[in-house]
Amino acid sequence: MTSNFRCGLISAAMLLIHANAAEAHIVAARLGDFYTGALHPLTDVQDIVLWIAMGVLAGSLGSTKGRWLILVFPLGLLAGSALGHRFGVASTGLADAAMMLALGLMLAAAARIPTSLLCPLAFGLAVIRGAANGVDLGPETDRLLFATGLVCMGYVVMTLTMALTLAFRSTAPDGSASWRTIAIRALGGWIAAIGLMMAGLVLAS
Amino acid sequence: MTAIRYLRLALLLFAMIVLPSALSAHEAAMGVLEFREVRPGAFIGRWTMEPSIGAARVDLRVPSHCLLRLPEMNCGQKGLVGSITIGNLGSNMSVVLIKVIPITGEPRSYTISTANPVVSILGTGAPTLEAWIELAKVYVNYGIDHILLGADHLLFVLGLIWIVGGGWRLVKTITAFTIGHSASLAAAAFGLIGVPERPLNACIALSIAFVGVEIVKQQRGETGLTARHPWAVAFTFGLVHGIGFAGALAGLGLERRLLPAALLFFNVGVEIGQLAFVLLVLALIWAHRRLDAALPRWGEALPAYVIGSVSMFWFFGRIARVFAAI
Repeated sequence: MTSNFRCGLISAAMLLIHANAAEAHIVAARLGDFYTGALHPLTDVQDIVLWIAMGVLAGSLGSTKGRWLILVFPLGLLAGSALGHRFGVASTGLADAAMMLALGLMLAAAARIPTSLLCPLAFGLAVIRGAANGVDLGPETDRLLFATGLVCMGYVVMTLTMALTLAFRSTAPDGSASWRTIAIRALGGWIAAIGLMMAGLVLAS
Repeated sequence: MTAIRYLRLALLLFAMIVLPSALSAHEAAMGVLEFREVRPGAFIGRWTMEPSIGAARVDLRVPSHCLLRLPEMNCGQKGLVGSITIGNLGSNMSVVLIKVIPITGEPRSYTISTANPVVSILGTGAPTLEAWIELAKVYVNYGIDHILLGADHLLFVLGLIWIVGGGWRLVKTITAFTIGHSASLAAAAFGLIGVPERPLNACIALSIAFVGVEIVKQQRGETGLTARHPWAVAFTFGLVHGIGFAGALAGLGLERRLLPAALLFFNVGVEIGQLAFVLLVLALIWAHRRLDAALPRWGEALPAYVIGSVSMFWFFGRIARVFAAI
């Protein structure tokens, strides 16, 4: 790998990590604060990767465990949004990277997490990301509408991701693990790798 | 029977308000601005009637490709195509008449007012391909925005999906709603029917309450009118909702010759938004089934009561506004 290519790769990664919310502000001008809140997470790579990782992890554990997150995750986002506004706390790059690494490793190891651990994990993640989304809003933003949009998007993304994972992870008629299960574990490996790379970049900068 | 009575009441209320409404004239702080084309795409503008706030204080916004430095305005090869608006309309200046006098062809006038804050200009000559693309872009986007911001329309569609479920019945129902609102949108936009906005909005809220009642009846094991003839209910209330869409279109001060095309593009936008919403709801229903995530027995009626309560809240608020305006 040449040094130019390496530099380019690192720069691209840095740009992705520091994706800003400019697109969401265009939405704000056009469709109001509900849609700003709904689309705000989609402008941030941390949200996209972490939400999907959580959804895939919950979906891979089966519907009995996963369905709790339909309620828990949006509630966590709501709590985080309120906390972010009240105390001005936001997630750090290192915390996001650590969460990505942890979720990725759990997926890769196909860890059988009990519901009593899955729910607090999802709630904690949602609180941290909710705070990160709600912390840097301008005074002109209607916070209630923004939070409602964020919570609705959390519900939609989590529900659809879990259901799609369940549908994808079909086992063979004899009950043996199919290539699909292996694909989900490989995805976990990728998520862990992204987390590790992000942590390295944050520490290096 | 109650459902039929309810539908009759809604239709009666609708019929009472579907009467061309008279316009009441009132004195306005008016200005008249004339743009005369001196060479293709280049205009000289002058105030033939200056507004009371003074010409210099008028915040005139022209299409982004036009360079405005009164008395000159240069729109280049593209010509004067796009939206014109005034940012500071108010009680001191409520109406501005804009006259465009092209080198060739008939002069045209556009009225910008607090009721019609934006006018769309397709061009002074024969419409070019660029002008049509511009028009399509503006009105398809406007249609999408209108349906996505119209929580009442979306709530009605959600209620229909809730009652009908999926499959061909849903396709027929949504198609009937589309035909209904497209027909009344066209009729209202062409001035065949005139409906005062405030009572119409109250009627739209009532249509959602009707769907809420129908959901409750279905959950009690009764077969309501919507469950029996979903397409008829969707078509009937589609007519009501379509006039509501036309109200949004009327606020743009369209040229008469552009109206059919703008109407088509606006309707396409509304359909895109509606289809996206229906697909999202169907995807979520599928996801809930896949996850075996259903509401507990005690909470089954909750969505219907939420829909009903929200719609009645809107209805009383909108009725209050009707009486406040009298």
